[in-house]
Amino acid sequence: MGNEEAVFFSRLLTELTLSFHIIYATIGVGVPLMIMIAQWVGIKKNDEHYILLARRWARGFVITVAVGVVTGTAIGMQLSLLWPNFMELAGQVIALPLFMETFAFFFEAIFLGIYLYTWDRFDNQKKHMLLLVPVAIGASFSAVFITMVNAFMNAPKGFDLVDGNLVNIQPLAAMFNPAMPTKVAHVVVTAYMTAAFVLAAIAAFRLLKGSDHVYHKKALYLTMKLGLIFSIGAAVIGDFSGKYLAEYQPEKLAAAEWHFETEGKAPLMMYGVLDGQEVKYAIKIPYALSILAHSNPTAEVIGLNDFPEDEIPPLYVHYLFDTMVTIGVLMILISGVFWLGRHLGWRFIQSRWFCWLLVAGGPLSIIAIEMGWWYAEVGRQPWILRGIMKVPEAATTSGQVDTMLYLFALLYLVLGVGSVIVLRRMFRRNPVEREIADREQARIEEERVKGGDLS
Amino acid sequence: MDEFLMFYAPFIVLIGAIIIAFIVAPMDGAATRPPKEKKK
Amino acid sequence: MSLEVLGISVLMTFLFGYIIVGAIDFGAGFFNAYSLLTGKERILTNVIQRYLSPVWEVTNVFLVFFFVGMIGFFPSTAFYYGTTMLVPLSLALILLAVRGSYYAFETYGARGHKGYSFMYGAAGLLLPASLSIVLTISEGGFIDMVDGQPVLDYAALFTSPLTWAIVFLSIAATLYISAVFLTWYAWKAGDPDATNLLRKYALIWALPTIITATGIVWELRNHNPEHYNQLLGLWWMFVLSGALFIGTVYLLWKRRNYGLMVWLLIGQFAFAFYGYGISHYPYLLYPHLTIYDSFTNPAMATALIIAFILGLALLVPSLYLLLRMFLFNKDYVKGRKKDEHA
Repeated sequence: MGNEEAVFFSRLLTELTLSFHIIYATIGVGVPLMIMIAQWVGIKKNDEHYILLARRWARGFVITVAVGVVTGTAIGMQLSLLWPNFMELAGQVIALPLFMETFAFFFEAIFLGIYLYTWDRFDNQKKHMLLLVPVAIGASFSAVFITMVNAFMNAPKGFDLVDGNLVNIQPLAAMFNPAMPTKVAHVVVTAYMTAAFVLAAIAAFRLLKGSDHVYHKKALYLTMKLGLIFSIGAAVIGDFSGKYLAEYQPEKLAAAEWHFETEGKAPLMMYGVLDGQEVKYAIKIPYALSILAHSNPTAEVIGLNDFPEDEIPPLYVHYLFDTMVTIGVLMILISGVFWLGRHLGWRFIQSRWFCWLLVAGGPLSIIAIEMGWWYAEVGRQPWILRGIMKVPEAATTSGQVDTMLYLFALLYLVLGVGSVIVLRRMFRRNPVEREIADREQARIEEERVKGGDLS
Repeated sequence: MDEFLMFYAPFIVLIGAIIIAFIVAPMDGAATRPPKEKKK
Repeated sequence: MSLEVLGISVLMTFLFGYIIVGAIDFGAGFFNAYSLLTGKERILTNVIQRYLSPVWEVTNVFLVFFFVGMIGFFPSTAFYYGTTMLVPLSLALILLAVRGSYYAFETYGARGHKGYSFMYGAAGLLLPASLSIVLTISEGGFIDMVDGQPVLDYAALFTSPLTWAIVFLSIAATLYISAVFLTWYAWKAGDPDATNLLRKYALIWALPTIITATGIVWELRNHNPEHYNQLLGLWWMFVLSGALFIGTVYLLWKRRNYGLMVWLLIGQFAFAFYGYGISHYPYLLYPHLTIYDSFTNPAMATALIIAFILGLALLVPSLYLLLRMFLFNKDYVKGRKKDEHA
């Protein structure tokens, strides 16, 4: 296998692993916070339904976390296996957050183990909930640290390059590179958003399938409300990301917007097709790109023609970006309408078609996450370390990458199918109505025993 | 201004969103409220 | 102590941690599957599940920690090992992934599913074998430099007796460590049937462990005389290790002091492991890479060590809490607590 082929298959395998891992990773980062909020509401309002909600979510969460952990291990090792030259170079500057990520993950793993097995050990639910705090913190900080590494690939800082050697290395400056704040915040907030909408989709699905239990209604209202908050947050931070890109990676923003000539009063193009450098059939929002880039409708936005041709990313990232933004806006609208409708008593939000829309929100959010990551990664091309190292220089010279690609594809198929089957079976076998009835029964029993002791 | 938006504002928004989430989460009166004009 | 030595000591300690907790975990999976096969699951499954359930995820972290730390402290290892180890480590990753996720599927989703249990048990044996290849390669002689790129010589690797000696040791040691530990755990759980069965397994695997270990030293004499001579220089560590081994087997035989026995076991492997590691100094990969020429810059090394100390300050109390709540909690171990998951 020639080096070109090795590069091609390395890219494909990394893309496959990341695309698969990110589904479970996003859920893994977002769901602990949702469990915590549900348990907290349950304790605060003394409402068994919310406690049970937290408990059932936690049960499903273990399955997704297991797949997230093993695929995370895979991508962690694949970085060295597929991109050895990159890791050798970047490791000297950005190893610190990578190292800290394992600590965050360790912390999470320990407390998740404790949390899962101690539901009935404490009489006081609050104590049990405290055990979840490190899980949520560990999960979110795993995302923070690993995204720092990705931010570094976009905006390498914290070293000087002298004759191809890295000198004057400052690990903290590398961690706190310019891309870090917008990227980290966007990744974390969209993880919360996606987790909320995925959980909402499940509740909506149960309601559609004929369950009329108030448990599902509470779950749906809670998750839609949380989804609304975090999707608005995602949009606002997304806007900040635009400002970051305009200043530090203008070619990435320009490629997403098909913005060729550097000019002021730049419009935002949604969708459309490209004819040479002409954008056709696009939805044109005047001034919007200037506002996104510099919060000023007349500000100048750098265009793609200012860059050498071999340093601009593929232009199809435009569609990735547009899909991500469209889904984001759609989710704000859907959850906003649902929330308003609940308060104002609109009937259509309980109609079947709207419920189906809520169900679609779960997969849609995950698609948005995928699009966002593809945009983030493809939009950085041809660089693996922007301005320092290009992708082909980083790849392995090993000849067996294609075989590994097929093996891993098979693995992800097995894991994906397995996790879906197990999750479905888990909740089918033990529907919430029965669990609520069982718990009620157990409580009455317990009370009768206590009463008997007294008399 | 742009510096602020790029470096501090993202975290302020993120943490703000988490805090708001905790504040509004227990307000679930509307969750079970029946629709206004029930025509059954 | 130089930063280089400090760095490699930290990493070795984590690798040792992984060898012990990983071996217990891998072996437990195997014994569990084996007991299903021989219809003895009634005796073993309970004890094994009780131990594994809350800790399975933690085991995995030791490994991640080791390789991430390796890249952090010695970035050049990414170049040498990353390029050459694509196939063996990818296979190990796939096994690890199947094993880890199917454990969760079985435990939380479909308890008692035989297919999952067998997959879990088989993967547990193949994993130490595939991971141990890294140790073999580090002895040198299997990597050629072609056009400045390292290339692994598979034919040499798979025909070398050293490779197979290390593979067999890894499997035998895995089963031995696991059986000894679980004997103690079953005894603690007050389960005489399981204790006796596991004790029998431990005794069965004791001899192969010590034979393959000696075999490796023998093989090393031909394969890597430099390492072999340094190994002889540390003879006292291996003598101590051997003495602790005899002590472990003696206690096992006499059915006495199972708690002390586990400590002797850990001591035995610690002396052997560190003795092996120290005699490997200063090479990470004979003869291409030493800890000195692959070391990261001082600024990063210092930052990593500070992060490591802060991280330990967080982790050690957490780990202690985990152990106290499950491993050393009498009620939990004996199954008296109603600690069903979620």
